[in-house]
Amino acid sequence: MEIIFNGLAVGAIYSLIALGFVLIFKSTGILNFAQGELVMFGAFICYGLTVLLKVPYALAFLITLSLGALLGVIIHLLFFRRMVGEPVFSNIMMTVGLASILTSVAGLIWGHDVYALPSPFTNKTVALGGAILSLGYVYTLVVSVLFVILFILFFNRSLLGIAMRGTAEDQNTAGLMGINVKRIFMMTWAIGTVVAGVAGIFLAEQTFVRLAMSHTGIKAMSAAILGGMNSIGGAILGGILVGVVENLSATYLSGMEIGNFRFGDIKDVTAFAVMIIVLMIRPHGIFGTEKIERV
Amino acid sequence: MTSGNFKVTYQEDLALFQTLWVKVWLCILIILMLIVPLFLSRYSLSILNEMGIAVIGAIGLNLLIGYTGQISLGHAAFLAIGAYASALLTGKAGFPFLLSLPLSGMAAAALGMIVGIPSLRLKGLYLALGTLAFGFIVEYILFHWDLTQGNKGMSVPRPSLAGLVISTQTQYYYLIMTCAVLTTLFSKNLVRTKIGRNLIAIRDRDIAAEALGINLAKYKIMAFGVSSFYAGVAGCLMAHYQRWIVPGNFDLSLSIAYIAMIILGGLGTILGSILGAILITGIPHAITFVTDLLRETLPALSKVIVDLKMGIFGLIIVLTLLFEPLGLFGIYRRIKVYWKTWPYKY
Repeated sequence: MEIIFNGLAVGAIYSLIALGFVLIFKSTGILNFAQGELVMFGAFICYGLTVLLKVPYALAFLITLSLGALLGVIIHLLFFRRMVGEPVFSNIMMTVGLASILTSVAGLIWGHDVYALPSPFTNKTVALGGAILSLGYVYTLVVSVLFVILFILFFNRSLLGIAMRGTAEDQNTAGLMGINVKRIFMMTWAIGTVVAGVAGIFLAEQTFVRLAMSHTGIKAMSAAILGGMNSIGGAILGGILVGVVENLSATYLSGMEIGNFRFGDIKDVTAFAVMIIVLMIRPHGIFGTEKIERV
Repeated sequence: MTSGNFKVTYQEDLALFQTLWVKVWLCILIILMLIVPLFLSRYSLSILNEMGIAVIGAIGLNLLIGYTGQISLGHAAFLAIGAYASALLTGKAGFPFLLSLPLSGMAAAALGMIVGIPSLRLKGLYLALGTLAFGFIVEYILFHWDLTQGNKGMSVPRPSLAGLVISTQTQYYYLIMTCAVLTTLFSKNLVRTKIGRNLIAIRDRDIAAEALGINLAKYKIMAFGVSSFYAGVAGCLMAHYQRWIVPGNFDLSLSIAYIAMIILGGLGTILGSILGAILITGIPHAITFVTDLLRETLPALSKVIVDLKMGIFGLIIVLTLLFEPLGLFGIYRRIKVYWKTWPYKY
């Protein structure tokens, strides 16, 4: 039971990161390979604020979010503003380049050490239905669920959300309908980076603040893909699925040996294995809608 | 007198070496390549060797991404398979190097074709992710399999060709350059034949290509196979050249370095892959050179070199995409047109 719940909490973080992927993909059509790096950046900014500058946690949280939005806007202005209308391949490669730049910048600023991010929830537990759970996990789950509801409402009810969906559908038509496509993209990058920042802070809560955090981003990407890139619900489900499967496999498979092959930290690759299997059966993910191509 | 190079027959248009001058320049290049080891130090030769290996891998990746349009983020995995296959074949099974070189290419090609099968259903970014995941899984297996000795790494014997054991940089140079020239010639030929044109058709519009009677499954898998064969050969040479391999050599950053090569060089061009491979392999050495010069004044610089390298690769990818989407090949072509038509604009 605890294994599953811990899986859920990890999965909630994956869901949040996956949400960032889906968000950016939904309105710009770009699969952002730098999302994991943005997550890492968020965690590092929060670490810098709370530990180095001694800002209170709640305030640091808010400042991280606003700095995240700023970072998103800067990324859009510097890198992607000129790329509107370019082929998807160029855009994806652009994010790959961006990812290495962000990693290198973070490495230059903060180095390759491992830091701990103290928060009001560290080392506190709560008993729930017989299982003892860390308060940080519960908090992560609750905030993730809140964010998800917020985004579903945003995309279905608000004018901006609908404009974003329209832009994703067809940039040219959206432009003709009077939507400022470049501004929409800027907003998207800002929101996507904010979500990444939140995920980064939560992730730092469970693990440590370090450069390798960006690896989680790639796992979350497989969560987003297996849920279906253009479905928010899919991202959430995918994230939780990956989290739970990962924790289960870590518990039950890690000690196994087949022949002379040892399943050490199998946790690191289960996400990819699950993704490949799902993609083989449903090439557009579980909830993804198939894009009909016209010649 | 004609005012330019006009092709009158189809044979002329399809010729590998199109004009007399191309042949002359190529001869000069080959002579230069043959005599250059006489003048260079061992260190500069080692840089050239690394470049030669990168050229092979980059051409392979460009055949897949640039010509067929199938994004692969797991190129390092195929290099790893080639490297480990050759290490096992020569080290443990006692195969001669001449046999293990093509065999390691074949091993990579076989796995490449298997990875290529999902490409029939997956497109664009889904495929990119599939190959990325494949890269991680291969790295994981290499880490955890007793046969490959995980993090301890494997030692690879020196290659020997018919009794001659290759040990000096000069001998490696001739071996690697021979392979690089052969693979370049092969790919140059491949892209001007029916297969190459089919691949380009698939890249430009796969549905239209299928409607024209091109067997998508066959050619996509073939592209994966050829590309991974090249990667396998490059990996095999790399293993025998470095003589020590660990799974960490073949991580995501290697795949990204190869992608940076072909983007910088120019997608869908053989010349571009060569230029890109030379430049990207040269950049870390240039950085080391500069940091060595600055060591006295800025001692902190040598610590951040790894981060700098990564960032510079990223910057290269981003800047090329922003300002010169055709890469070095685009610049080359512009200069060529400029000199051809000088003093007129066109």
